[in-house]
Amino acid sequence: MTAMERYTGTPKLMVPAFGLGVVGLVLTAVGFFMNPEATSFSYLLGFTYWVGISVAALIMLCIFHTAKAKWPIVLRRAMETISIAVPVFAVLILALIPMMKYLYPWVDGSPLAAHIHGIEVEHLAHKKAHYLNLGFFAVRQVIYFAVWIFVSHRLYGWSTQQDDVGGLELTVKQRKFSPGALPFLALTITFAAFDWLMSLTPLWQSTIFGAYYFAGSFLAAFCVLTLATVRAQGKDLYGSLVKTSHLHNLGKLIFAFTAFWAYIGFSQFLLVWIANIPEEAPWYGLRMYGPWRSVSIVIFFGHFVLPFFTLLSRKLKEKPGTLAVAATYMLLMHAVDLYWLIWPAFSGEAGPTFHWTILTAFVGVGGVSVGYALFRARGRYTFPVKDPYIAESLRYVQP
Amino acid sequence: MEAKVLDSWVLAEFATPEALVSATQQMREKGFQGMDTYSPYPLHGGSEALGLPPSRVPFIALGGGLTGMVTALTMQTWMNTIDYPLNVGGRPLLSLPAWVPITFELSVLFAAFGIFFGLLGLSKLPQPYHPAFESEEFRSASTHGYWLSIPHPTGTDAADVKNQLTALGATHVTVVSGENE
Repeated sequence: MTAMERYTGTPKLMVPAFGLGVVGLVLTAVGFFMNPEATSFSYLLGFTYWVGISVAALIMLCIFHTAKAKWPIVLRRAMETISIAVPVFAVLILALIPMMKYLYPWVDGSPLAAHIHGIEVEHLAHKKAHYLNLGFFAVRQVIYFAVWIFVSHRLYGWSTQQDDVGGLELTVKQRKFSPGALPFLALTITFAAFDWLMSLTPLWQSTIFGAYYFAGSFLAAFCVLTLATVRAQGKDLYGSLVKTSHLHNLGKLIFAFTAFWAYIGFSQFLLVWIANIPEEAPWYGLRMYGPWRSVSIVIFFGHFVLPFFTLLSRKLKEKPGTLAVAATYMLLMHAVDLYWLIWPAFSGEAGPTFHWTILTAFVGVGGVSVGYALFRARGRYTFPVKDPYIAESLRYVQP
Repeated sequence: MEAKVLDSWVLAEFATPEALVSATQQMREKGFQGMDTYSPYPLHGGSEALGLPPSRVPFIALGGGLTGMVTALTMQTWMNTIDYPLNVGGRPLLSLPAWVPITFELSVLFAAFGIFFGLLGLSKLPQPYHPAFESEEFRSASTHGYWLSIPHPTGTDAADVKNQLTALGATHVTVVSGENE
C-alpha cells in the first residue's frame, strides 16, 4: 500500500530520553537524601503525571475499539505505544516504598500524622484504616498494574500480530476484548487516584476525584498523541499519512476534554462548597484562600477559560503548528493542575513553594517512560499497516 | 407594485450523490454561478463543489452562548441581591459558584437557539413555495433524487446548458420559471 517500512528505533530520540530520565532519577534520589519530604511529593507529582497519560491512552484505545471507530486507526499504533509503557511505572512505583511515610498521614509512624490529630473529624481516620493501610495499599497497586499491563499487552500483541498476518479476525478480537476491559480500567484508575492523590489528605473524600484525575490525564494523553502525530515526520513515520481531518478531530477532542475536565472539576467543587461540612471544606478552603488562591485562579483561567475560547477556532485546530502549541500548553497546565492537587498537602499554608526535585522527578519519570515506549516501538510499523480498515482511515474526510 | 421579471432555472437530476458532486464541480469550473444542490440527506462534498464560503452559523452560536451567559448571570445577580435577597445557609448573597449550573444551561440553550434559528434564517426557511416545485419530477429530491439547479435568463434558449448537463450524466433535465421571493 505504501512504501513505509518498520520503525528502526532511531536512537536520536530514544537515547536522549533515556539519558535525561536516568540523570533525572539519580538527581531525584540525591534529593531524597537531602530533603526526603519535598522529594517524595515531587516524585509523586512526576509519577502520577506520566502514569496517568499512559493509562488514559489505554482507555482511549479501548474506547475507540468499542466504538468501532475507523478514522483513528492511523493513530492507533501511537496510542498503543503510549499505553505499552505501563510496565515501566510498575517498576517506578517501587520508589514510593521509602516515601510512603513522608507522603501519607495514614501510614504508621508518619511525621505527618500530627496533621490529622486533634481535629474534629479525626475519628474518621480510624474508620478508614481498613482501606488505608500499607498491606492493602500494596495489594491494590499489584491489581492496578496487573490489569493495565494485561490489557495493554493483549491489545498491542494482537495489533502487531495483525501487521504480519492481516485479516479481520484480530480486529474482531480487539473489538470484543476492549468493551470488557473498560469497566476494569475505569475502576482501577479511579481507585489509583484515591490511593495516590486523595489519601494525601485522608480525612477528605470526594467520589468524583477519580474522574477528575482521569479527565486531566485523558486530556493530556490526547495532547501527547497530537504532539507525537505532528512530530512523526520523516522516513517510516506515520505523520505524513495524517490529514487535516485527523488533526482537526484531535483538536476537537482536546477542546472537548478541556470542557469535560472543567465540568468534572466544578461538579466536585460545587458540592463541597455548597455543603460546607467540616471534613470536606478544608481541602478547598486551603486552596481558595491564602497563598494558594493565585494558583487556583491560574488553573481556572489557564486550564479552562483561555483554552476553551482559543480552541473554538477551527483554523487553530487544523494547522499542525498551532495545534502543537496548544497541546504543549495543555500538557503544562496539566502539570500545574497536579501540582495544585498534591503540593498543598506538603507546604500547606506556606503556599506554592518550589523544590528543584519537582523538575528532576518530572524529567526523570518522563524521560525513562518515553524512552521505554520508543524502545518497545522498535521493529514495528508506526501504524497498523494491515488493519482491514486502514484504507478508510487514511482517506478519512470529516463530515 | 412593480412588475417582477420571472426567474428561471435549469434543473438536472443525477442518479448518485457522487455524480451530482462531480457535475456541480465541473459546471462551477465552467463559470456557472448561483447554483444549488438538492438531496434527500446531507451531501458529502456538496458545499465544497458549490464553492460556498464557510458557514456563519458558528458565530451566531457563539453569540447566542455568550448572550445566554450574560443573561443568566445578570438575572441571578439581580434576583438574589436586589429583587429578593434571601440568606440561604449563611452564604453571601452574591454566591457565584451556585449560579454556574443555571449559567451553563442558559448558555447551552441560547447557543442552541442561535444554531436553530440562525440556520433557518441563513437558509431563508421556511419557504413554502419555490418555482422549482413546479416540476413534478423534482419531488424525487426528497426521496431518492440528486438535483442541481442553475439560474438561467428567462426566455432564452437553455439547450446548451441542458446538453452540457446531459453530457455530465444528468438523467433528467428540465427548465422551470416562476416568481422567486
